[in-house]
Formats: sequence, structure tokens, C-alpha cells
Amino acid sequence: MSGEVSRQMSHVSEGSAMGSDGNSSEDLDEDDYYMDNYDDLDLDCPSKADDPEYFEYEPLQVIDAERMLNEEIETLCTTLKVNPSTAKMLLFGHNWNKEEIIDNYQRDPQGFLIESNLASRRKPDRLVGAKPVCSVCCREVNPDRFLSVACGHMFCRECWDMHFQTQIQDGITTGIECMAKECSILVPEDFVYEILTQPKLRDKYSKFSFNDLIKSHPRLRFCPGIDCAVIIKAKECKAKKVECEACGAVYCFKCGLNYHAPTDCAVVKKWLTKCEDDSETANYISAHTKDCPRCHVCIEKNGGCNHMQCPSCKCDFCWMCLGDWNNHGSEYYECSRYKENPNIAHESMHVQAREALKKYLFYYGRWENHARSLQLEEITRENIQTRTQKKVMNNEGTWIDWQYLFHAVALLKKCRYTLQYTYPYAYYMDKGSRKELFEYQQSQLESEVENLSWKVERAEIVDRGELENQMDIAEKRRQTLLKDFLEV
Amino acid sequence: MAATRRLQKELGDLLSEGSPLKKSFRDIVVDESNILLWHGLIVPDNPPYNKGAFKIEISFPAEYPFKPPKVLFKTKIYHPNIDEKGQVCLPIINAENWKPATKTDQVVASLLSLINDPEPEHPLRGDLAEEFTKEKKKFLKNAEEFTRKYSEKRPAD
Repeated sequence: MSGEVSRQMSHVSEGSAMGSDGNSSEDLDEDDYYMDNYDDLDLDCPSKADDPEYFEYEPLQVIDAERMLNEEIETLCTTLKVNPSTAKMLLFGHNWNKEEIIDNYQRDPQGFLIESNLASRRKPDRLVGAKPVCSVCCREVNPDRFLSVACGHMFCRECWDMHFQTQIQDGITTGIECMAKECSILVPEDFVYEILTQPKLRDKYSKFSFNDLIKSHPRLRFCPGIDCAVIIKAKECKAKKVECEACGAVYCFKCGLNYHAPTDCAVVKKWLTKCEDDSETANYISAHTKDCPRCHVCIEKNGGCNHMQCPSCKCDFCWMCLGDWNNHGSEYYECSRYKENPNIAHESMHVQAREALKKYLFYYGRWENHARSLQLEEITRENIQTRTQKKVMNNEGTWIDWQYLFHAVALLKKCRYTLQYTYPYAYYMDKGSRKELFEYQQSQLESEVENLSWKVERAEIVDRGELENQMDIAEKRRQTLLKDFLEV
Repeated sequence: MAATRRLQKELGDLLSEGSPLKKSFRDIVVDESNILLWHGLIVPDNPPYNKGAFKIEISFPAEYPFKPPKVLFKTKIYHPNIDEKGQVCLPIINAENWKPATKTDQVVASLLSLINDPEPEHPLRGDLAEEFTKEKKKFLKNAEEFTRKYSEKRPAD
């Protein structure tokens, strides 16, 4: 039975990383074989609809993304009978919403193109005389050297060329406008290519405009990993978790920041900005060492678990609140809940400011502590790896027999990660019953994460069944919290 | 240089008898060795700035007209949209809005209208913008005093 639990957990951790074709059973390696082969036997395995973090996406190479964009452009070309440059501009300007574009265009083609800055009711300039003067360079130019875009503002070829060069050097491509004052008619790609003379700038134009198109596409995102060329294609634009197969970066599809469930994009951004401004004070206050609450010996935290045992007097206490650990094991875990001063409204400005700082430091301290614990958990993983290797050498089981320990660490990290991101959410929540429910679930998760952490660090002396049971409980708590509070 | 021909043409138009800015933008001085740097005198019509005149400097980049000119006040002015260094936020010459076909007389006209009618919605000096919207009388009094004290003499005609 315990094996069942282990497989189930692995499945959950894999769930969100799966591509659009959920059952790529062709080339399973040994690891996958042991984790996924019993899927259909796993009756209570969470389904796609059930998993609040489920997200369909796939990594694309630049060439695939280019093909995908070109296909979308072509479809629009054939439906509307417009040229590719116009189709590209329409998609770029209207959030790649094909249905809306087709609808609006078919209702009133001219009006829609005008609204999209691709057509104009203006009469084209009339060139006067044998050698008209270009109003930008003030030179007399042969009439056949004059060109204009949809608005009919005539300028000489050399001026257009210079205009494009200057704009491209400033990184502007899809947004290049006509040169006339207060004219916002856009210059389509084919016009630019016809005039641009320097091959180097033509390359730059095509590269920058491709980047513009990707950035404007709601279902595509450049992987934010360093030097990573992958483009992620998602089924829909949502604040869900993406794990890049190429560089390992984990981030939110919608905003590109580190994944932040259950907090939403706007709140996490606000929180990170706040932390950047205020973290010096917070760092100063939350020191790296603490004194044992009973014997006052100085203790440095060297593992991820917040359940501490003093090496000197053997008392058990919580690293966060320095309270007795025994109060933390029970169902009501008070340590993650910030208690607001009930009389705050009647206090002076100074006291209110102090209280605001105290509140921030409370949440920041926990946020920061979990971030540090996550790093320490990585050390735990390395220790387990060394010990497992030793055991395998001594013929105490095979490598596969000890895999459950690694699954446990992976799950622990996942749970702690979510727990870390519950703190900005709670910080910005309004007081009320929903916050109370949130903090209750948060405390439940926190309690189980610490239990799991404690058991993982002592994996040798903990029974496998007990550990796997703890994994199951922690993941269930995490899922419950996300189901209730992650906006899908 | 491409800028030279265009600037010569623009300067000629501004100095001509028919220029609509003849009274409000005058004493235009351009160094013979450097056509990219202009000096001139702004003469506003509306109170509280109609008690004086203000020296400005217009500097054109070598890439002109494909990149915008810059305007700098050389005379101190008490105005929500002009800071203590004489810098002014003029949308028409903002890098993102700039159009190569925009002429210098249009830039100066836009500057004049900003001087005559301050825009406190996007100020460079927040304190003055607040005074302008909340205590108009006080603002007018201060600005007039400031103009008398620091601005240039208005031409006789």
C-alpha cells in the first residue's frame, strides 16, 4: 500500500510538466517506468480537472514559433484576403484575437483598418512641379522618388530609409509610424523591406519584429532563464507554473516571475518591490542564529526544518516563535498567524507605523525563513544522496529501493515553496473570515511541512510507510489550500 | 550633413516677415560655425508671464530631423512644467512622439502654449503644480513676483 502512495505523489509532481499530449508512453526511461506505469491502477490519482495547478504547455524552438506565427498570419490572410504584412499588423494590434479581427473586419473593412492605423480617409499629397521638395530633408527630388504609406503623406525614399534606420536602432520595428506630424498610420513590413538598403538593418528589423510578435502574443512567452532560447506555448494565458525543460527555470506563464501560487501576479510584484525596499531592516532583525529558549545556548539553523532540538538541553522548540514545539503538533498551529493589535485604530501615528513595520517583519520573516529553508533542504538532498550511495555499495538495497527518499525531498521542496508564497498572499489579505480560513489552512500546511521536514532529515530511523503517509498528508494540505485560494 | 539644409530653411522661415511667431519668438541667434545650436527670446502673452521675457536654447542633434531637438530655459521661470535647471517636458519633442516632419516653428508654438497655459496634470515641479491647482491666487502672485525679479526685459514693440 505504501508503494501506491509514493507513485501517486510522483504523479502529482509530474502532472503540471506534462505537454499537451498527456500520454507520451513511447520512450519512458527506467525512472518513468516505475513512476507512471501503474497510473491506471491508481484510483484516487488527481485528474486534470481536479489539480488546481494543472496547465497545458509545450516548449518551442524559435523555428517552431516562427512557423506557428506564420500559420496564424496565413489563416488570416486567406480568410480576409489581405496581404501578410497587413495580417501581421492586425494580429499584433489586436492581441492575436483572430475571431474578433475577422468579425470586425467583415462588418466594416475600411473602418476597421482605419481604427487599426492601417488605412486613412485622407487624400494623398499631390506632388507639385517637376522637382517637388521633400518636407523632411528640404531637397528637390524627382517625383518618382516619392513614396507614402496608407495616409498618403509623401516623402522621399532617402528620408524614409533614414527614418527606418533611426527607429530600428532604437529597437522600434512593428511600431514604426509615418513621418508626418500627428500621423499615427503604421508602416507595414513590406514597405520597410522595400526601402531599407543595409542588409545588417534588415536582419535587425526581422529579429526585433519577431521578438515584438512573441511578446505581444498572449499564448507565447520567451523563457526568462538566462541565455535560454526556448519559447513556451500555452493553451491559454494564465498565471500557472511552467518548468523549462531546457534550462530548468520555473516561472509563472503570465508574468514571467518566479512561480507564486497562491499569490497572484500583481500582488507578488507589489510584495517583491516592498521587500527590495525594506529588506535591509528585516535582514538586520532576523539574524541567522537564535538562542535556545531554555538553556540560552546559541544555535545555528543547519537544516530546513523549523522543529528544533537543542543539542545541549534537548528541549524541542519552534525556530520561528521560539515556543514549545509540543504546541505546534496539534491541529491548531498558531505560529503562522499574525496577531494584530486590536486597539490599533486608537493609537498614535508613531505606534501605527511601528505596528505596520511589525506586521511586515512578521510576514517577511516567515517568507525569508522558508526561502532559506528551501536552500538548506537542497543540502539534505545531497546528504541523502551520499548516504544512499554508501548503502547501495554495502548491498543494503538497490538504488531503486531508496528512490522514495528523493521523492520525499522533492515533495517537501514543492510544499515548502508553496508555503513560502502563501505569506505575501496573507500579508495583503483583508481581515475577515476568508483570511481566517486562509491562515487556518496555511497553518495546517506549515505544520505538515515541518513534520515532513523532520522526518526527511531523520529518514534512516523513520519507517518508510510513516514517511510516505506524511508525504501524502502534506501534499493533500497543499492541494486543498490551492484549490480554495488559487484563482483558476 | 542632412540637418544643415533643413535647418537653414527653417531658420529662413522663422526670420521672414510672414512668420506668425514674429512677436512671441524673437532675437534668434545662430552661431555661424554651428547651426545645431539656436538661442532665442520667448515673449508670452498670458499673465503672470506677460510681465517679462525668457531666453531659451534649442539644440539639434546631428541626426536631425530624424531625432528631436532639445529645449532649455536659460532664464529662471516659476512654472509647474519647467524645473530649476530649465528643463521642460514638451510631448511634441519627446523621443517616442517625435516625427521627422515636425518643424521647429511648431515646436516653439507648442512651447508658447505650454508657458501661457500650464499643465499641472503632468508637472516637473509638483510643489508648483499643487499651488497652481489649489491656491491659484497665491500662485499668480508668486509667479508674477518671480517674473519681475528674474526674467528678461520685454522688447518695446
